[in-house]
Amino acid sequence: MKLDVNALGTFYRMAREGAGIAAGRLTHMMGVETQVGVTKLNFMRGQEIRRDFEDATEKVGVRVKLTGAIEGYSVVVFERESAFRVVETLLAEAGPDAEIEGNAGETDEFDEMTESAATEVGHIINSGFIDGWADVLEAVIDVSTPEFVEGVSAEPFFGDIDEAPGDDDLALLFQSRIETVGTEVGFNHYLFPKRESMSKLLERLRTSEGIEYDKLDGFDRMAERGAEEVAETATTLTGIDTSVEIRRLNFVSLEAIPEQVAEEKLVGVAFEFDGMPSGYLLFLFDEESAHEIVDAMVPMEVDEDGFGEMGTSAIKELGNIMASGFLDGWANVLDTTIDHSTPEFIHDMGAAAVDPVIIQLGENQDFAFVFDTVVVADGREFDCEVYAIPDESDLERALNNLDVDRIEDAKTTAEFQEVDTT
Amino acid sequence: MKTYGTEPGAPTPVQVGISELVVSDGDDTLKSYGLGSCLAIALYDPQSAIGGLAHVMLPDGDAADNSDRKPGKYADTAIRALLRRMVEQGANYTAVEAKIAGGSDMFEFESFGDGVGQRNIAAAKEELEKLGVPLEAEDVGGEHGRTVEFTPGTGSLVVKTSDGDDENGVTEL
Repeated sequence: MKLDVNALGTFYRMAREGAGIAAGRLTHMMGVETQVGVTKLNFMRGQEIRRDFEDATEKVGVRVKLTGAIEGYSVVVFERESAFRVVETLLAEAGPDAEIEGNAGETDEFDEMTESAATEVGHIINSGFIDGWADVLEAVIDVSTPEFVEGVSAEPFFGDIDEAPGDDDLALLFQSRIETVGTEVGFNHYLFPKRESMSKLLERLRTSEGIEYDKLDGFDRMAERGAEEVAETATTLTGIDTSVEIRRLNFVSLEAIPEQVAEEKLVGVAFEFDGMPSGYLLFLFDEESAHEIVDAMVPMEVDEDGFGEMGTSAIKELGNIMASGFLDGWANVLDTTIDHSTPEFIHDMGAAAVDPVIIQLGENQDFAFVFDTVVVADGREFDCEVYAIPDESDLERALNNLDVDRIEDAKTTAEFQEVDTT
Repeated sequence: MKTYGTEPGAPTPVQVGISELVVSDGDDTLKSYGLGSCLAIALYDPQSAIGGLAHVMLPDGDAADNSDRKPGKYADTAIRALLRRMVEQGANYTAVEAKIAGGSDMFEFESFGDGVGQRNIAAAKEELEKLGVPLEAEDVGGEHGRTVEFTPGTGSLVVKTSDGDDENGVTEL
């Protein structure tokens, strides 16, 4: 099975189109404004997908089995509270006769009526996505009757699905988020395609030689090694115990990258790197974390506002060493060398730090692989988002040069730490 | 980010994401968040109160093969698309005026050459000149991010920097 950027781009368009149709129908049904949040194609291992689900929140899902042009499962997952709010709105729309017994907000069990309402909403959303994909593919996709699932782990959602990836299997996951405007209702959508069905689709959509799917393992190892190096460096330099919380490889349209950056003033360090691959690397901290880092690295009192010369140079220094570690991690997996520029400091709106990079890459590509990493500290403020965005053609070449057998030898010790979210 | 089900005149500002353009004839506020080297181009006809905002990413759409599908991505094609849609909604071409904001150069990377922000500013000015649309005001260049809010009804373009909470971080063009 081989894939290329054109095929992935088509997948991305499917996800966007599907999310749009689903959001439109949700608006129509609930009479509220809805927004499509970030849509991504993620390459994730089974264990990470399962880990994603284990954040202690109760979830409710509606899943359908797909046959035809795409085979696999499509699952809409709500947080339990969101699901209740949706059902409440929906039944209120249906008129006073349909009022839920007691009060939906206080009910903690789904009864027959609320379950069937939630299933209906989930099914309409699933169908929206699937209609969008079918439109883009100009093909027919058949959908089974919806199934209502609830639980706190991945088990009830994917446990019994043969298509769900094993712990170490790298799966291509379609992920979208739709939110209602004003109220806090949001949900995630997942598509688990069957491998053979994927393979057939990729074959059809591919327009270039492409990359062998198994080589994506190299991607994942790169991400793993890079993230691990960043956390280690941060711990060594600041004395703050840090660990990798999220590590993800996304395929997104360039325009979507700044959209996912927090809408607040951030502190960052940016680099361009050169080699095979070349590209850009950004470390972004929220202001509080940046202050914490400066306090940890600079022994004397620093002025409260802004970061001053001392603070700026401390953060640049940390960024510089994290960048070397990150890119060394990559170079190691790819058996090459990657050089990086001197650090550029930024203290500004997060999106404004990212857009120059996507503009520069946008001259030659519409999509990008983004290595998305979040490093956090236990008990202290240290949130660091890492965006590594390589030049697409370089990356394709680098991966094709990759000897898959060699990957097995590369050390993989990144460990995830459970973070207390309560 | 696209919003579904937005009513005209809704109080929430309409988000104009990167490569998007929106034309409106109401009192909507059109908002583009976190412009770095991207450029916000606002066109409006003061008589009919029809106007639009584009959040462009690259200078030259005529040289790109997907500019038909995504006119809002490029300065030149975005200006033409805004004008065309405004005229379709009843704006008077000869009355249309322009304001622009953004186009910073945030980083001095070797690969960026003369500056990605500068290229966008130059391209927008050239296209406006070519089409005879007067540029009424601008807040461009520098090394900082901007968030803009444009109200076509009044032609007001409010530019906020990241110090935007105090008065000196907000400029109205």
